[in-house]
Amino acid sequence: MAELVSVYDYPSDVATVVRKLKARGFDDLTTYSPAPFEEIELAEDPRPSKVRAFHLGGSLVGVVVGFGIQIWMSMDWPIKIAGKNIAAIPPMWIIGFELQTLFGGILVVAGLAMLAGLYPRPLDKHYSPRFSAEEFGVVVRCEERDAAEVESLMRGHNAKEVKRAEAH
Amino acid sequence: MAPPPATAVADAMNPPVRPQDSQANIDIMAVTKGFHWPWLIALLFALSGVGLAGATLAWQTYEGLGVAGYQAPVFWGVYIITFVFWIGIGHAGTLISAILYLFRAKWRNAINRGAETMTVFAVLTAALFPLIHIGRLWKFYFLLPYPNQRYLWVNFKSPLLWDVFAVNTYLTISVLFFLVGLIPDIAIARDRAVGWKKVVYTILSAGWQGTGKQWKAHSRAVLHLSGLATPLVLSVHSIVSWDFAMSIVPGWHATIFAPYFVAGAIFGGFAMVIVVMVPVRRIFRLEAYITDYHFENMSRFILFTSLICGYAYGAEYFIAWYSAVEFEQTSFWQRAFGPYWFSTWCMIIFNVVMPQLLWIKKLRTNIPFLFVLCFFINLGMWFERYVIIITSLSREYIPAAWGLYIPSLVEMIVLTGSFCWFSMFFLLYLKMFPIIAISEVKELDIHARDHARHDAHAAHASGGAH
Repeated sequence: MAELVSVYDYPSDVATVVRKLKARGFDDLTTYSPAPFEEIELAEDPRPSKVRAFHLGGSLVGVVVGFGIQIWMSMDWPIKIAGKNIAAIPPMWIIGFELQTLFGGILVVAGLAMLAGLYPRPLDKHYSPRFSAEEFGVVVRCEERDAAEVESLMRGHNAKEVKRAEAH
Repeated sequence: MAPPPATAVADAMNPPVRPQDSQANIDIMAVTKGFHWPWLIALLFALSGVGLAGATLAWQTYEGLGVAGYQAPVFWGVYIITFVFWIGIGHAGTLISAILYLFRAKWRNAINRGAETMTVFAVLTAALFPLIHIGRLWKFYFLLPYPNQRYLWVNFKSPLLWDVFAVNTYLTISVLFFLVGLIPDIAIARDRAVGWKKVVYTILSAGWQGTGKQWKAHSRAVLHLSGLATPLVLSVHSIVSWDFAMSIVPGWHATIFAPYFVAGAIFGGFAMVIVVMVPVRRIFRLEAYITDYHFENMSRFILFTSLICGYAYGAEYFIAWYSAVEFEQTSFWQRAFGPYWFSTWCMIIFNVVMPQLLWIKKLRTNIPFLFVLCFFINLGMWFERYVIIITSLSREYIPAAWGLYIPSLVEMIVLTGSFCWFSMFFLLYLKMFPIIAISEVKELDIHARDHARHDAHAAHASGGAH
């Protein structure tokens, strides 16, 4: 196996080279960029993010908890106010909404941490502080016999540097 | 030809010297480095204020709320006014970060971090005041539904309880939003730090490397948090307004209160962003990032929300007159011409009359003028809450039960201390983390360069064709 590390100045070049690489079947790749660029995200993985599932799950749990605690606690300690039902639903929408937002938000962040691998850990060996400046990186892992083609694709799309390394 | 060894590649990708760091990284991270006299003086001043207010609060806790100037019939005073004021201030950050994000208003990128920081510290400050107001600080947990030996639960039909849930949810979501946005910038700081700072930034950046997978999850998380925070920010000040509007006190029992409070919060919040960001920009030389254009856009928001406030003030008076309810009419007459006339006219002049100067473009882009105007707007917004709370409570239904509330020195020291408390956190933040969202600024900058390159290629190609 070989690893090729290329460096670019512009996101459109990265998006193009990623699309071309994936079209040629080189799917095992990683991009690094100093800022969010939608064109790169779409080129690398056009599928919808799973963050939305966390949002939905958290929100549903929040609504159920919000209404659940209010109904249960109202029934457990009944206070009759202004002739209304003990477990009057209309005022419960407020805390139901707040807990939906609270649980939804917490689960969105938990989803981000899980999907993006956000926990203290060593950085990738090819990560460089250059990628938190203004440069972009594309790392491709491929068979040794394909390395020349990958390199050619990279250089053909304005890679300013291409380095080769053996993958472990 | 044999490929070079991996270690050689790794070394080549991590040069010991970094001659080509981006200008945005250098300029914005410079705020956290070096020594700035104005910053130190401000911090010492803030610490002194916090110390004084802390000692005063300790004395109040020992003596009881009698030292706070409450007297019948006014038992909501400066502490509740200041709570509502700081909650309002906390609204601009979410508006700028979440609502403008959903509207794809890219101009927000230079100011959103400052506004978010302000939001978090403003809500933290606000959250102290209900506790200070209850007097027995250690009983704060009575506000929460918790199992206890009396089998007693909280009253879910009370707006005060809704407020507990709303403020805590808002604080949590604001902090999460702030931290999620901060992670890529902490990674930038990590890559440029040495020593113990590098260790701290490495832990806080949580393995962020800016991979496509990370950015995708991050962008979607920000989008979803924005979607959650937008209705939340509108709900929070609506619920705060229902603390008043759900009662039958003249001057409070009005359906206009929710939108009126939300508009006022955005108005005051934007004014506070300007008050905070003008000196930051000047002292830390950030004029290239926070430009006159940003201040002009914020001025437009201030002008717009000032008009909504003006409409709400007028509508309140109109409805009081049109309703023909004597108590409402008396309450509003007392606001304008009673013992608290000074606060009412300050409110109207600072919040409605003075902001009309922003129709003039020259003034919208005059930074010293904006700073002074926004200072007065903040004063006006504090007086707005003073008018709503004090005049209404002191002039209820029975004239024999009317009273006069004058804030005590203790309350004024704690009020001043709240500004110092907020400033202390903000100043400490300035020296630890980037005050401008570096990666978002770079996103705009790199996109602009990329588009310019494509335009140049297109022009070159069309020139060649001819």
